[in-house]
Amino acid sequence: MIRFIARRVVSLALTLVVASAIIFLALEVVPGDPASIMLGVNAQPDTIAALKEELGLNVSRPARYFNWVAGMLHGDFGISYTYRTPVRDMIADRILISLPLAVYALLLSTAIAFPAGILAATRRGAVADVSIMGSTQLGIAIPNFWFAIILVAVFAIKLQWFPAGGFPGWQDGFIGGIKALTLPAVALALPQASILARVMRSSLLDTLGEDYIRTARAKGLTTRQSLWRHALRNALIPVLTIIGLQFSFLLAGAIIVENVFYLPGLGRLIFQGITQRDLIVVESVVMLLVFAVVMVTFIVDVAYAAVDPRLRKR
Amino acid sequence: MPLLTVTDLKVAINGEPILRDIDLSVDSGKVLGIVGESGSGKSLTAYSIMRLLPAGSTASGRISFAGKSLFSLSEAAMCKVRGRDIGMIFQEPMTALNPLRTIGDQIAETIKIHTDANRDQVRRLLLDTLRRVELPPEQFPPSRYPHELSGGQRQRVVIAMAIALRPRLLIADEPTTALDVTTQAQILKLLRRLVDEDGLGLMLISHDLAVVANTADEIAVMKNGVVLDAGTPKRIFSGDSHPYATELLEASTHVPAIVSRAAEKSDVNGNGNAPLLEVKGLVREYKLPRDNIFARSKSFRAVDNVSFTLQHGENLGLVGESGCGKSTLTRAILGLEVLQGGSVRLNGQQVLFGERRGLAPRHSMQAVFQDPFGSFNPRHKVAKLIAEPLYAAPQKLNRIEQRSAVAQVIERVGLRSQDGEKYIHEFSGGQRQRIAIARALISRPALIILDEAVSALDVSVRAKVLDLLVELSAEFDIAYLFISHDLSVVRSVTERVLVMKNGRIVEQGMTGTVFNSPQHPYTAELVNSVPVLGYSVR
Repeated sequence: MIRFIARRVVSLALTLVVASAIIFLALEVVPGDPASIMLGVNAQPDTIAALKEELGLNVSRPARYFNWVAGMLHGDFGISYTYRTPVRDMIADRILISLPLAVYALLLSTAIAFPAGILAATRRGAVADVSIMGSTQLGIAIPNFWFAIILVAVFAIKLQWFPAGGFPGWQDGFIGGIKALTLPAVALALPQASILARVMRSSLLDTLGEDYIRTARAKGLTTRQSLWRHALRNALIPVLTIIGLQFSFLLAGAIIVENVFYLPGLGRLIFQGITQRDLIVVESVVMLLVFAVVMVTFIVDVAYAAVDPRLRKR
Repeated sequence: MPLLTVTDLKVAINGEPILRDIDLSVDSGKVLGIVGESGSGKSLTAYSIMRLLPAGSTASGRISFAGKSLFSLSEAAMCKVRGRDIGMIFQEPMTALNPLRTIGDQIAETIKIHTDANRDQVRRLLLDTLRRVELPPEQFPPSRYPHELSGGQRQRVVIAMAIALRPRLLIADEPTTALDVTTQAQILKLLRRLVDEDGLGLMLISHDLAVVANTADEIAVMKNGVVLDAGTPKRIFSGDSHPYATELLEASTHVPAIVSRAAEKSDVNGNGNAPLLEVKGLVREYKLPRDNIFARSKSFRAVDNVSFTLQHGENLGLVGESGCGKSTLTRAILGLEVLQGGSVRLNGQQVLFGERRGLAPRHSMQAVFQDPFGSFNPRHKVAKLIAEPLYAAPQKLNRIEQRSAVAQVIERVGLRSQDGEKYIHEFSGGQRQRIAIARALISRPALIILDEAVSALDVSVRAKVLDLLVELSAEFDIAYLFISHDLSVVRSVTERVLVMKNGRIVEQGMTGTVFNSPQHPYTAELVNSVPVLGYSVR
């Protein structure tokens, strides 16, 4: 098991190195010089040169790459070209919204999907199954921004249970923050829960058809006991993969919902960075997201090995 | 009074009757063997007793077990009977165990759900049960996972789960079908010992007459959901039983008439005749995962320096247990493996790995594999499947020629030419294997490799397919490399045989000589493990 984890850590580190190089190169080949864009079309060449020096853009590409990576390792992500503030502080502010939002949405989605998937699988073909599967179709088909608008109309404007948008910050208490994140989290969780419930159902149905479930029944276990003791853990393996993918998506891909709710999250930050050619912000946020995705994959891999003894040997 | 009595059992699935008027009984300390071909309703009878029938089935009749009527029990009460009073073991030991839980955990579960035993008692009973199934806990600690055990060992674990609480009845559904002959012999001995020691009643279900004949005290013969005849093995095999029983017996001892043309030919052409297939010093190694990134990589020799020749028109057998390297050798001969040493020559031309280099000699050999369903693309019509080797042929046929070639081979293997318009799922196992043979035949090969080609077939179907193979060999002058773990089949159709163990050929010679006076101890063990029908027809 320790060897398995060590091996995974090595591949994780290599992935990060390759990803950082690709991100750096991809943004380097994009036309447009940040210094000229910041100063506008009428800027003097010597002003541009001075700014370039200040931003650290006047050295060679490899040197800039190494400065960037070395800085990140020290927690220094550089200075935003547009706002002239440390990128680290900008990311820190945003991540305090995006990370809790992603976790909240994932918890909601899992809490909905597991019981729904299990119920549908055990009542295959019955009313419960048909109606759950019908609702998941709907959940996948509805665009989440539209669903977000409906949520705002009902729960924020009509019932006034939750704020319609914005984020008060965590300093005013946990409850206020959670309240502000609830509607966005629900909007994000619904399609995710629908997908997850379907995966859970089909995975569980496969497992329930396995020979070892028949063996368990022959031992004298009831249907329910064989489901909880033998089927569920085996069915969890594909479900874990989907959860890992969904978390990565929720962290980075919440931009539309962030816009609907005026949440200053990572998605909006990266969007602003791109439109303003604030390359250092884009690079840093993308790198951070890559790091998050790689970490989640790592955790999922370790979780696999914890669930499945056959994988520990590899 | 018998331990178990089944009276007038009828089972229908989705309204369609499958079992009709089944009457059976099992006594304590006795073995009831149930034989029949696939689809005869053997397994369904077992599941009716366990009340584990597939969804959509309805059962009627009476099953009385130790004075209780099983059909009148509630589901909760039935759960208490399963595993405690009636144990069951299954055909496929590789999938019958939960891969994520240790074997100890799975055996102990039977004990825990039926008794109030404390941890120490459970542990003691668990170790005791492992010993009873001959898996000494010193060698096979309960902390092992199923994937760390072989097929035979897993089957012992399944048996351990079923007998941990010393049930009064054990139902074994094809318990040895997926196992090698030597393992099969050991498992059958174990089951017989449990019957004699614990006095349990055993219902032994098998399609293999020889397996049942040597173990059972009574035999019931089933066909199409009906028990045709039941009685002692002696009476069932005496000839005055139901004609179908005699038919089964005939099929399982069937020997196709071999025309030994290899011998004939060498007489005519003298000894200077070049072999059809020449395998020389063949080595296939697999790299094993390294212990760490700095360690030297180790390798495993699946095929270790194998050499043999095969003459034109000869039937050569290759026997050995699973894992001995038979399949790797087959793939190597077909040019589907990268070799680490040695060569394969067909008609003097070297067979090479890779798409571009090796195609020419490969065209004159074809293969038929074990799984008659898995080796066809289910979305193509049979005519297209059969025509497949023609696409790789050196000279292309036009559409009309191709169609007539397909029609010809379909009819030659005993199907109708209009069957070409059907899909593979519309055929039975035996018909599918005929289609596989037709596909091999269409390119007029000099060699067909039959890799466990009849192993998945019922005895009577197997007998007919073997007859067909022997006829074709004579008619088209085809040589066969006949690979099987089933010694009796190899014995009946081959002239010469190779015995393989751990990647090496340990013995070879004329089939009769090798089987009658084996020289290598391994061959002797194999030959002795084969269950022999001690009864002849009439």
